Amino acid sequence: MEALNGWWDDYFWGSVVVFKIFITSLILMVIFGLIGAMAKLSNNRIAQKLAAAYTVIFRGTPEILVILLLYFGSAITLTAIAQIFNPDIKFLDIPPFWAGTFAISVIVGSYATETFRGAFLGVDPGSVEAARALGLSNFKTFIYVRIPEMWRIALPPFGNHMLSLIKDTALISIIGLNETLYVAKQATSVTSKPFTMYIVVGCIYLAFSTAITLTVMGLEKYANHHLEDA
Amino acid sequence: MNKIKPFIQMQNVEKFFGQFQALKNINLEVQKGERIVVCGPSGSGKSTLIRCINRLESHNSGHIIIDGTELTDQMENIDAVRSEVGMVFQSFNLFPHMTILKNLMLAQRLVRKTPKEEAKKIAMHYLERVKIPEQADKYPIHLSGGQQQRVAIARALCMKPAVMLFDEPTSALDPEMINEVLEVMTDLAKEGMTMICVTHEMGFARSVADRVIFMDQGEIVEQATPEEFFDSPKSNRLKLFMQQILTH
Amino acid sequence: MNESVSLIFDSVLQMLGGIGMTFQLMFVSGILGLLLAIILLLMRISGKWYLNWPAQAYIYVFRGTPILVQIFIIYYGLPQFEFIRDSIFWPILREGYGCAIVGLILNSGAYVSEILRGGVIGVNPGLGEAGSALGLSARQRFIHITAPIAARLALPAYSNEIISLMKSTALASTITVMDMTGIARTIVAETYAPYEIFISLAIIYMILTFFIQKSFGRIENFLGRYTKQLEI
Repeated sequence: MEALNGWWDDYFWGSVVVFKIFITSLILMVIFGLIGAMAKLSNNRIAQKLAAAYTVIFRGTPEILVILLLYFGSAITLTAIAQIFNPDIKFLDIPPFWAGTFAISVIVGSYATETFRGAFLGVDPGSVEAARALGLSNFKTFIYVRIPEMWRIALPPFGNHMLSLIKDTALISIIGLNETLYVAKQATSVTSKPFTMYIVVGCIYLAFSTAITLTVMGLEKYANHHLEDA
Repeated sequence: MNKIKPFIQMQNVEKFFGQFQALKNINLEVQKGERIVVCGPSGSGKSTLIRCINRLESHNSGHIIIDGTELTDQMENIDAVRSEVGMVFQSFNLFPHMTILKNLMLAQRLVRKTPKEEAKKIAMHYLERVKIPEQADKYPIHLSGGQQQRVAIARALCMKPAVMLFDEPTSALDPEMINEVLEVMTDLAKEGMTMICVTHEMGFARSVADRVIFMDQGEIVEQATPEEFFDSPKSNRLKLFMQQILTH
Repeated sequence: MNESVSLIFDSVLQMLGGIGMTFQLMFVSGILGLLLAIILLLMRISGKWYLNWPAQAYIYVFRGTPILVQIFIIYYGLPQFEFIRDSIFWPILREGYGCAIVGLILNSGAYVSEILRGGVIGVNPGLGEAGSALGLSARQRFIHITAPIAARLALPAYSNEIISLMKSTALASTITVMDMTGIARTIVAETYAPYEIFISLAIIYMILTFFIQKSFGRIENFLGRYTKQLEI
């Protein structure tokens, strides 16, 4: 255990990076998911096709491949563009943080597309009709009837998407992001205690997953409070 | 010692679900060949009563003795007792992934170790008894509710049980299918099968039962022959119940 | 343009050379993972706390951490211990290939076990009661009634899990295994043509995904034949 002395700071900052990616990708994932769901539910044929292609592509491709493609692909494009202006530039890349965050958001967003679509379709049309019959405007019906109901339906799978995101952050280490796995790799080369170093990473992720699971459980309880004890 | 030993004996049986007392001090004896109908409002404990007899529910105190064997926690041979006690459920509970024939053969093969051909012969025999041998190779979902319930009865009969328990066998059926099931049950009664039926079919109770039992709030409130039971109910609770049933 | 086409053509051929490795990783860990999942499931539904708790803890840990971390702990971490290096498992754990398979088995076992449990929970409890009432023992009820119905109920989720597993095999490339992704990464490092190579590879994976989905669809149809009304 004393091998860990001196590395705690690095693990801490690595965890901060993980947390930052998580929050950023969570926001992006919701945006991608909502866009995908709206496209699938729209009447526009092309939008529907594009959304369908989106889900098929990212559900059928390994996550690591998407990350590699986005990072190296964007790097080569950026470098080529930069060389037009300054031939001396050898290599220019999007920071791994952003390439990785974007990649995992797009991937998990493709799963969230189905979740949001299902939640939208899962709202009981009867309660929407009832709200309209009571004289609520379209907007008010959306806010007071649809959103709370969708939220309740989407929450359990949404919790799983959040867990996917946090676990996928580990993949970003392969393009050189200085998160916890990267720290473990460095620490290993210095201390030659790889097991200790990687187990710490495992514990950090377990703590993140637990925090997410507990949060989702709390939210679910809140979202379902009207269903308890009939 | 009684001269004729009762086939089923329940003595001071009590059953709790958490705080809720489902059975209160139940005493009941059933002789071989007797046909008993149990009725009562929902939640009165009538289903729990027969489910205790084959130990789908375990009682908390008192004694239940089936053909000389007491049902206890440390029973090794509960499956042997169960195979002597046939049961028909409200929701049929046919095994959906097996054909009708396989449904009838499964327990014969596994519990009775009956050879395949013989099991098949017995199965077909009982399918004919319930008048649907032509459905043998279909899956349960392909049959109507009434047909499924007849299959469920045949499945129980294949084990040649000494007693048959019916737990509201017609409650889940559309009205036009109730009679085909009651007919099968009536035939069975005529042949001398020992039967305990939880049912609200009062016509069946009147024509078939030797004894009708009325339960309310976990207690046996009244038991009598059908004539007495229907024509001169004693307790107010039974009178009220009869009114509710008849005005239905 | 022509250069691109021939580059794609050559590299696709090279990458397909790794498809055998991808399949090996997938099938070996798929089968052994299923076995592990069944053991975990039996532990969870045994009704004995000393079997249930360890199984739950196992599932919690392996579902709560990234599979890449699990693979790294096995590949980089375990050799820290001398007793591992002296054990009979060393020939397996010394190689990236062995570590990848062990990691995939341990990980998918946890996920699949939860999927199977979902299937078991979905089986109508009345059927078990009907089995009891006929005198079937607990073991007979599980084998002949619960298990076959649960298997069918779990199949759609299981097919998604196998697709996940297939995608996870690509992680083996991070510990020196030359599966399709490993080969692709080498080619990209040499040619610096990430678009051509990675996109071609993505398409290969998508085709595999498509076939997995189709096959499971067939199996579902077959196993679920008793759930369909006859055509009238």
